[in-house]
Amino acid sequence: MGQDVRATWPAPSPGGITPALSNGENASVPTDDVARPPRATGSATGHRLVFHGRGWSLFGIHIVNVFLTLVTLTIFYFWAKVRGRRYVFGQTEFEGDRFTFHGRGTELLLGFIKAMVLFGIPLTALNYVPQILDASTPVTAATSLAAYALVLVLIPVARAGARRYRLSRTSWRGIHFSFRGRTAEFVRVFVVGSLLAVVTLGFYYPVFATRNHAFMMRHSYFGTAKFDFDGHGRDLLVDFLYAVLLTLPTFGFAWFWFAAAKRRYFWERTSFLGARFRSTVTGGRLLRLKLGNLLVIILTLGLGWPFAMIRTARFTCRHVMLEGALDLGAIRQHAEGATATGEGLLSLFEADLDLG
Amino acid sequence: MSWQGHYLDGQSAQRRRATVQVAPTGLEITTDDGTTRRWPFSQIRQTQGQYAGEPVRLERGGELSEALIMPDVAFLTAVRAAATARRGRFHNPRWRLLRTPLTLAAGLAAIGLVAVLYRWGIPAAAGVATRFVPVAWEARLGDEVFARLVEPEHRCQNPERQRAIDSILARLTQAQGVGLYRLRVAVVDWPDANALALPGGQIVILKGLLEMTDSPEMLAGVLAHEVQHIVKRHTTRAIIQHASTGLMVAAIAGDVSGIVTFALEGARVVGALNYSRRAEEEADVEGMRLLLQARVDPAGMIAFFEQTLHPRERAEPNGMWRYLSTHPLSRERVAALRALARGAGPPVKLLPDRDWKDVKRICAA
Repeated sequence: MGQDVRATWPAPSPGGITPALSNGENASVPTDDVARPPRATGSATGHRLVFHGRGWSLFGIHIVNVFLTLVTLTIFYFWAKVRGRRYVFGQTEFEGDRFTFHGRGTELLLGFIKAMVLFGIPLTALNYVPQILDASTPVTAATSLAAYALVLVLIPVARAGARRYRLSRTSWRGIHFSFRGRTAEFVRVFVVGSLLAVVTLGFYYPVFATRNHAFMMRHSYFGTAKFDFDGHGRDLLVDFLYAVLLTLPTFGFAWFWFAAAKRRYFWERTSFLGARFRSTVTGGRLLRLKLGNLLVIILTLGLGWPFAMIRTARFTCRHVMLEGALDLGAIRQHAEGATATGEGLLSLFEADLDLG
Repeated sequence: MSWQGHYLDGQSAQRRRATVQVAPTGLEITTDDGTTRRWPFSQIRQTQGQYAGEPVRLERGGELSEALIMPDVAFLTAVRAAATARRGRFHNPRWRLLRTPLTLAAGLAAIGLVAVLYRWGIPAAAGVATRFVPVAWEARLGDEVFARLVEPEHRCQNPERQRAIDSILARLTQAQGVGLYRLRVAVVDWPDANALALPGGQIVILKGLLEMTDSPEMLAGVLAHEVQHIVKRHTTRAIIQHASTGLMVAAIAGDVSGIVTFALEGARVVGALNYSRRAEEEADVEGMRLLLQARVDPAGMIAFFEQTLHPRERAEPNGMWRYLSTHPLSRERVAALRALARGAGPPVKLLPDRDWKDVKRICAA
């Protein structure tokens, strides 16, 4: 122990629970799971994440959560979410220290209620009121168009908000992460990108995805230190075209290779205090992970998803690393406030975890 | 006795080696730069270290707190021994032994709870909730569905024959109070042999079904069944039950969705079918009672259901169908109806001076 000032950090993205700096993975030579974190100083390169979580432990947490959620007629759901995340974060280690999730059930509940009242109700109203009132066709068409537009705006609002919340509630060595991007700016990036993707029949997608990722990364901080991302979507275009061309001959499996290439690229273009991330994800490994998860879930009739989640977290940690010397001595605490409204809103649109 | 760990000041990312003494009122933390800090037990909270292999993490202060990381779980036992009145703030490592049995118990209890909620809880709650739904809302919903479902040109409109059919329904509604419901029946020119009861009071008889009836008593049997769906508010109940099972699925699926929810959705559909069969059984039983009250010959209803027996069912009842069908097996239905009809009084003939074959031509131009 004693080391100190030297550390780095990648975000725990166990199973997608964390949003944040995930997306890629990899590292130099991914040996195997037991890779011990470089204890200390010595190694100027190869800082790794180690995931200690066990499927049975998370499964136990999940079962108790289910019980309490049923007993409380679903109110406990938000506290259950916190318990699961606390466990997964607490089992993720970097440079000998674990991550901590600081979220609270109360704030998740309030965030969900706020998201429902502010966005859920207007959206539902736009969708159904014209039908109930038996409005004329132009009115119905106009309102459903408005609903689509609203969703297009709300998705980036939710994503930025959820990232802001999740990073602000995540810490390592007592220093909190934060997301300082302006939501309005992300809405602009997202909406313009989506429209361009439609206009170009999807071929803009690599640029779109990279720009979104860049926005998220470049506004992420650990204490006072900033993450950087220097990727450009055109670098992914070739991989993307391969995937498109090979979709039919490979029955769609080509997309695993594109997803892996994207993750590698995203991580390799991410740096922190001069050190750079690396990822060892490959299409084959990703395919194995996803097929394995699918099997676990199907064979357990869905109840075994904690095992799938642990596999995903282990995979993510094993395949990402940070290379280069890092001087963390200059980093100071800098926390930003955040509410859980975006988190609640996101739950209206997408799952927390995509195990598919 | 002193313990070794790390101290984080909550201001920088440096961790300092720390030696911790457990004193009667709190912890004394000496870091490797020679500073000593005193943490009273009352200000400490434990945020990690509840699981095997997880270091103990103690925090002090607000959101951006100082923290102490202790790798040895035995430290907790020492702290709990010293903290006496405040020991509840610290996890008891012995609880870990209980975790597996407690988890198993919670798992079994959850399974039991799902079963109880599904079998009794949700239907009972839906029954109560249904009472608070105004009949006017049901009527509105029913009218809306009817208007969308049936185009006017498909409605069979022959006032004189319609009167004959209306009189059958009237005979039934006079025998049993129907509260606020305004019951009415429409025949629709569709070939399927089916009938539906829309919430609020509209009964729809499809031409295919009408043609299968050999007597007004047979139609009366169908109407009596449909009337029960309306009066017992089965549609409203089904909507509420569907929402409730949705919440239950959300509780089980927890933090994920996608494929897990999809799998559970299957279970939910099978569950909904069961609720539907229960509603059909209730409509059968209550419908038969209504027929007897109205002194309609129950043989008509029984004969009608016998006619609908699928050839396969006439042979052997198939176990699988029992669970995948919205309606009870016709064989069992017929047997149950027969039992109910035993001891019926002398019936009063329906439409004694009408030719039923003529009434059935209500859809003819």
